[in-house]
Amino acid sequence: MKARTAWRYLGRPIVAAWLVVSILFLLTRAVSNNTSFIQATLEADSRLQLAEREQLTQQLLHRSGLDRPLFYVSFHPITGWQWQGIHNQYHAWASRLLHADLGLSYRSQNPVSELLVEALRYTLPLTVLAALLSLGLGLGVATGLHLTSPPRRTAVLTALQALQAAPLFLIATGLLLLFANPDFLDWFPSFGLGTEEETTAWWQLPGRQLYYLALPVFSLVLVSTPPLIIQLDGALQQELQQLYVVTARAKGASQRQVIWRHALRNAFLPTLTLLSELLPNLVAGAVVVEVLFALPGMGRLLAEAAATQDHPVLLGGVVLIVVTRVVAQLLADGAYRLADPRIRL
Amino acid sequence: MKQMQRFCQNWHRALALFWLTSVVVAALLATSTVLVPDLLHTASPPFLSPHWLGTDPQGFDVAYALLQGARTILYVSIPAAALTLLLGGALGSAAGYWSNTGLRVARSWWIASGLLVAGCIGLATQLYAAFLVTSGSLLTGCGLIGWLLHQSTWGRRPWAFPIDALIAGLIVLLDSIPLLVLVLVVAAIQQPSAGGLVLLMTLTCWTTPARLMRAATLRTRELAHVEAARAAGLSDWQVLRRHIWPLTWPVVMLRLPLTIALLIGLETTLSFLGVGLPPETPSWGRLLAGIRQSPAAWWLILWPGAALVLTTLSLHQLSRKKQ
Repeated sequence: MKARTAWRYLGRPIVAAWLVVSILFLLTRAVSNNTSFIQATLEADSRLQLAEREQLTQQLLHRSGLDRPLFYVSFHPITGWQWQGIHNQYHAWASRLLHADLGLSYRSQNPVSELLVEALRYTLPLTVLAALLSLGLGLGVATGLHLTSPPRRTAVLTALQALQAAPLFLIATGLLLLFANPDFLDWFPSFGLGTEEETTAWWQLPGRQLYYLALPVFSLVLVSTPPLIIQLDGALQQELQQLYVVTARAKGASQRQVIWRHALRNAFLPTLTLLSELLPNLVAGAVVVEVLFALPGMGRLLAEAAATQDHPVLLGGVVLIVVTRVVAQLLADGAYRLADPRIRL
Repeated sequence: MKQMQRFCQNWHRALALFWLTSVVVAALLATSTVLVPDLLHTASPPFLSPHWLGTDPQGFDVAYALLQGARTILYVSIPAAALTLLLGGALGSAAGYWSNTGLRVARSWWIASGLLVAGCIGLATQLYAAFLVTSGSLLTGCGLIGWLLHQSTWGRRPWAFPIDALIAGLIVLLDSIPLLVLVLVVAAIQQPSAGGLVLLMTLTCWTTPARLMRAATLRTRELAHVEAARAAGLSDWQVLRRHIWPLTWPVVMLRLPLTIALLIGLETTLSFLGVGLPPETPSWGRLLAGIRQSPAAWWLILWPGAALVLTTLSLHQLSRKKQ
């Protein structure tokens, strides 16, 4: 039984993550033309002769290990199946991945891990801030809804459902048009992080960054909070009809105490699943927001890598997101256990 | 008060249906030819003739682009949603009905199909050279072996096919990446055509309907009438078709508008990022992306944004349970 639960909670997600990343790796290498990224750099140099170019292409391919076979076995219609041994692209990539080496970017020839760390410096504040804010806002609004009058609650819920209908990019562009528009309300900057100005002192930096991050964070929060509130509100509604709530009321607890002390902990359980998806989804949402607000973060790195077919960067980003997802899932399972001792792993 | 509420609800439904019908009609009326841009009026504001809804920075008419974007929704999002639900429904009901032990196949056929797969791999070169002869002889050979094994008692004993575990594994596999990132990466590897995008969306979005259908089937499977039907000796297929699907089908149908809304959101987001459909395919998302070139053009957000929100809201309204 122990081995089974370990497999279910630890083994299966990790194997799934490995498989997904491997499949994407094989797809990128198999489908795309390996020489295309080298060709582009070589053709820019017109001094090279055709023969030299061929030779140079071969050398460059060899340097990046792209002239090796793709996988352990290969197939050719005439020669049939062939065992290629461990000197193949997949093996090299996988063993480097296990050493946390994600390879070099095709475009800039920088290590991918450096690019990712650089990008995370911008994305982490954005997503963590958005996650904390949506969690706080979700809790506050959902409990607040049960303290106000029913008509007001229905009105708020209807508004939230309407908000849910708008996709992230629409909300973000709408905010941009409303609050960063020189013709309308020029309250917030429309792009960048404001770090390029040298005049700011170090103690002004956090405030400045917050000012620049306000609109991106706000658009992420506006998208990720409504489902949270709606689910938590429904669960609270159900919990408030339970008998233990009647007991708590009979003991003289106020509505606020009943909600925060008694009902919320039970109502929070189904929402935990939603929370475990919050962080990875925010990273995905950051793709849209960062492209729109021109923030040099993970999302924009991914979108640019996708547009320019820079596969190592793309795969590196995917690896990072998959790992985040697995960790978030593990944390959620742990949180389940903390929140409800009846659940046994 | 009750009547008032019901009236309100019917009214909402009627409004939603009206909007969706007009979107479909607009999509059918829109011509597929690419209109020439009006270079004299680039990024011109709305309510001026001849472009009543304004033009985008390239000089294309916004109203016209809206109509053509509706066409993309009709031909990409709706087929993708239908296929998603079909695939998810089929896999989910199979997983729920048979779970891990229900689908029993005789050992003879296991061995025969294993041999077939091994033969296909081993004789791959011959398959390439002479497809008809090799595949014919492989099929007859494996069929013969299977039939011979089936004559023995050992061969007739069943081995269970763990279909539930298989499908659950696939769901875990697909759910380990956020949908948008997965589609972004695959679309980046090779720029898909409209058909390719439909396929890509289908293959990545089927997990939620599959999960719902599996749960519904698990519940229905235990009901008395299904037991009775099985006891009467109906085949699995007949039990599924006549006694389980009529009860589980509404789950999927209720999900249809939501799935369409999800896929419209996904498609427009991809077009907005400039990844999904080829650049010449008009889409509401691509129209909205024009805002990045002329940030003051509010009409580039308002019309497609309103169309998008209204469509999604109508679809959500349709998916609410009929009172």
